[in-house]
Amino acid sequence: MKMKKVMALVLAGMMTVSLAACGGKDTTPASDSSADNTNTETTTPADESNTGDDATADETPAAELSGNLTIWTLAVDLEDMGKKFAEENPGVTVDTTVIAPADYPTKVDAAIGGGDTSVDIIVGEPQMLQSMFEAGYFEDLNQAPYNAQDYADKIVDYVWEVGQDADGIQRAISYQITPAGFYYRRDIAQEVFGTDDPEEIGKLFADYDTIIETGKTLKEKGYRIFASDAETNYFSGDSAWVVDGKLNVSQSRYDYMDMVVALYQNDLTAYAAQWTAPWYQGMSGPVPILSADIMWGDWGENEEGVTNLNVWDAENFNANVGNYTDQEAEVFAYGLPAWGVLTMRDNVGETSGKWGVCSGPAYGFGGGTFIGISSLSENKELAWEFIKWATLNENTADWWIEFSQGDTVSLIPALEKHADDGNEIYGGQHLYSFWLEQAEGIDYSKVTQYDTAIGDAWGQACTAVKEGTKSKEEAVNEFYDSVAATYPDLIIER
Amino acid sequence: MAATKTLNQKKKMRNVNNTAYLMILPFVIVFLIFNVYPVLRTLQISFTNYKGYGDMDFAGISNYVRVFKDKYFWISLWNTIKIWVPNIILQLGLAFLLTIVFSDMKYRIKGLAVFRAVYYLPNIIASTSIAFLFQTLLDWRYGSINIALRQLGIVKGMPINWLGDAHIAPFVISVISAWQWFGNSFIMLMAGVQGINKDYFEAASIDGAGRWTTFAKITMPLLKPIMLYVSITSFIGGLQMFDMPFLMGTVNGNPYGSTQTMIMYLYKFGFATRPKQVGYASAIAYVIFFLILIVSVVQFKVMGQED
Repeated sequence: MKMKKVMALVLAGMMTVSLAACGGKDTTPASDSSADNTNTETTTPADESNTGDDATADETPAAELSGNLTIWTLAVDLEDMGKKFAEENPGVTVDTTVIAPADYPTKVDAAIGGGDTSVDIIVGEPQMLQSMFEAGYFEDLNQAPYNAQDYADKIVDYVWEVGQDADGIQRAISYQITPAGFYYRRDIAQEVFGTDDPEEIGKLFADYDTIIETGKTLKEKGYRIFASDAETNYFSGDSAWVVDGKLNVSQSRYDYMDMVVALYQNDLTAYAAQWTAPWYQGMSGPVPILSADIMWGDWGENEEGVTNLNVWDAENFNANVGNYTDQEAEVFAYGLPAWGVLTMRDNVGETSGKWGVCSGPAYGFGGGTFIGISSLSENKELAWEFIKWATLNENTADWWIEFSQGDTVSLIPALEKHADDGNEIYGGQHLYSFWLEQAEGIDYSKVTQYDTAIGDAWGQACTAVKEGTKSKEEAVNEFYDSVAATYPDLIIER
Repeated sequence: MAATKTLNQKKKMRNVNNTAYLMILPFVIVFLIFNVYPVLRTLQISFTNYKGYGDMDFAGISNYVRVFKDKYFWISLWNTIKIWVPNIILQLGLAFLLTIVFSDMKYRIKGLAVFRAVYYLPNIIASTSIAFLFQTLLDWRYGSINIALRQLGIVKGMPINWLGDAHIAPFVISVISAWQWFGNSFIMLMAGVQGINKDYFEAASIDGAGRWTTFAKITMPLLKPIMLYVSITSFIGGLQMFDMPFLMGTVNGNPYGSTQTMIMYLYKFGFATRPKQVGYASAIAYVIFFLILIVSVVQFKVMGQED
């Protein structure tokens, strides 16, 4: 009888253990929610013939291409590209499966790691690429017949580098660049600073201290510099988190922390969390804000001249605000990569035409979809034709710029060709030349595969300090503990 | 002749046995592939530094030593308990209360089937939908609950940061999970009550036993086996809590890691961290397994069911 009970308990426990086993390469994920997030679409060839000559990449005449191409992507972009590719190549059918980014690496691990030969095109974002390269999922594109190195001068440098593995072998290429900039309201800039010129406004974001001063000036005029204090994240840090196996916390990380704390504690932002409804709402008009300086209240100041009432200090706030009320304010700027052009396009509403884009305190970038060939694909030639078509073909770049209504391609001849294109949402600003300039300043050597986890831990430290739950020293110590627990092999000198 | 007959009978019996083995073969195959293999594979991986791809270099017991030294694992265990205890009290308490009400012979509440279905409804809604619903309702600034509380004058000043305060967020998740699961516990307890012979209740009623006496002396003792089952499964389910805290926060258990449960911690290393640390995640899985095993044995003993 006892034996039976022990067996029952052992079997019940097996349920727990099974979860981890699913991390192995021979099994599928246990917590597989991607069914809800996965969308497969098959595109069959249309009757239309190829639309033009290839201006940049060597290309087999489209009529000769045939077969079925299977694409696994985390960006919907490739679904549209797959359709267009099939349309231009009547002999080709394209199956595109869109998988949610959070599930994508696990799906690829399970499929390619498990020996699946049915997938031809796989993709990755910068932070996930190195481990996928190391796992051998991506085909070597430097070898014949691809010879990708011949196209190196056609693509923006940092994008080309992101697609290389640790040995410098090209394994993926992106069709887009994603340098970061500040999207700002020209009308507010004109009113508060007397100019809306991107060069001049860029000076207001030149460094962290200047950003705080700009925020204070805007607050005096009833505006908020940012919707959230995470807007400067893309510009944080001037060196890699890990250098030669050692954790590297440079002074600029601390400066960034101080700035985030100052933005928060001085009520310079609208306290809208990134990617939430109020954050988007700020793009089209005023958003409700919490403010320490409630208009009709006189709350006094401490010895340093800081108001006694501060929204991050809940106890103090509740004690003082009997007649709490919401105020509204307009947001001045958002810090986003080049793909933010599309985010803004969908959310600016009535403020369309009143925006501009300027540089930030450092060269940064965020995201980007990199396309490669699965090393197990049985259809590699067609897959390479697709990659050339999507990333190295000027006609495709022209089509994509028009189709996406403003995405920024990585093909240098296309960027140069569109350098003088004006974008009406941004008052006719020439965005492509601006983004190319920003992209040329990006130093990709700062990026490591540890960035997401270490960046998250630093973000938690910043949050703890700004909300007052930990002192700076405690929060930084906690950060070191967290990184040491996550990556015990890293050398950590406190 | 008799010897031949016995031989035939034996052969027939053997045939019958073979047929039975054949009948259970599909289950055995599926069980071996999907249960036994992953369990043994996990054990193997837990002694390596496997990253989810490439070679599996033997790492001895280093992953297990790391688990025991990892303060964040023990914090995640404490978080799990913090979420699970209020959850189980609310879930079983509510289920028990409803069982008392619905099993009372004197109340004779009609429409049990309807109530049962309504109580069970949250259990069949996808956790993702529930998480989204409550995230929207509980938003610090714009959520309906805070707006209602302020308009009713219950909350003055700053709105309650339901999901952003490390002291409140775990309890909020407990309540949501209890709401999601109390119907399930209620159905099991009611099934237990309905399995009790009605004669006992009638006899108690004739003997003049009150409502509480009937419940304490008849319902409770006869419900003990089902209560044990419900509490053990709730306990195992509680320690394996993953979906709701994961969906309400992030893999890091925001705010401040306060909602990061043990399974979320396992998930972090097995799936979310780059490069993945599948060996370490597997060791965590085995430590969780033994923790659950030990506490379940204790629970069996405490409930006096050893025999």
